[in-house]
Amino acid sequence: MPAQTDFLRPLPYFSALSDADMQRVERVALERSFERGEILFLEGEPCAGLYALKSGLVRVFKSSPEGREQVLLVARPGDTFNDIPVFDGGPNPASAAALELSTVVIIPRDAILSLVDACPPAAAIVRLFAARLRRMTTLISDLSFRSVLSRLAKVLLEAAAADGGTPAQRLTQEEMAAMVGTVRDVIGRALRLLEREGAIKMQRQKIVVVNAKKLRDMV
Amino acid sequence: MELALPEVDDGKCEGCGDCVRLCPGHAVALIAGKAVIVLPENCDYCADCEAFCPSSAIRCPFEIVMGDGAGEDS
Ligand code: SF4
Ligand code: SF4
Repeated sequence: MPAQTDFLRPLPYFSALSDADMQRVERVALERSFERGEILFLEGEPCAGLYALKSGLVRVFKSSPEGREQVLLVARPGDTFNDIPVFDGGPNPASAAALELSTVVIIPRDAILSLVDACPPAAAIVRLFAARLRRMTTLISDLSFRSVLSRLAKVLLEAAAADGGTPAQRLTQEEMAAMVGTVRDVIGRALRLLEREGAIKMQRQKIVVVNAKKLRDMV
Repeated sequence: MELALPEVDDGKCEGCGDCVRLCPGHAVALIAGKAVIVLPENCDYCADCEAFCPSSAIRCPFEIVMGDGAGEDS
């Protein structure tokens, strides 16, 4: 197994470890590679451990029962993820998939927990924080998609109405997200849904309102 | 009409190459350390590059317009 110390040591999780503890972590760390599109782990499954991305790009996301996906994090090299279940002992709160060929180092849950074993109060606090973070994560993904649709419909109607004499408003999905109070990824899905419903048509760099009434009914 | 393309802000582009690697159409290349849409016909304006650029150097703006007959009581 390749030595992982050079990679793990600078990560915020491990920067304060003694050399002995670092060696203990390194002994049990596993390196795994995933092809583009491959799933690293699934929401609801038991937790394998803490993931640290060595190279590549990984998408961490939650899926709703209707199949909507909410991206929580796009992990880049040096990022760690899946720490909530490591500390609160629950199942994985989200899934992860490789966006390109990616190599991760997995540190089993027991090895991470053993680092706080010596200090039960700290262990209890971390467990509490992890449980709170899990609830927040669920809350975020439950935030109503409906309300996003309604606010986006309003933004589109106003922007399209401004067109007439004045140059058409040009907005990126990021800017629409900021106006609506959501993230870019959700805007992408909302636009696709509005198109499927026949309210708008996406034409390369144009969003054409084809049925203003449908949009108005959503507001 | 000319093909609309993602707009790269050379001042912000760090030349990391993420957009080059991630563009599904392989439409982007680095020229003199800056992202350039070298194969415009391969770009389908999916806006992935905008999403992944860590420096917010790429923008894929959309014009928002009212379609003919979209109006009041269609
Ligand atoms: S991802 Fe952004 S910073 Fe990196 S090369 Fe492309 S435009 Fe430049
Ligand atoms: S918009 Fe999509 S296809 Fe066009 S350059 Fe960006 S990533 Fe490539």
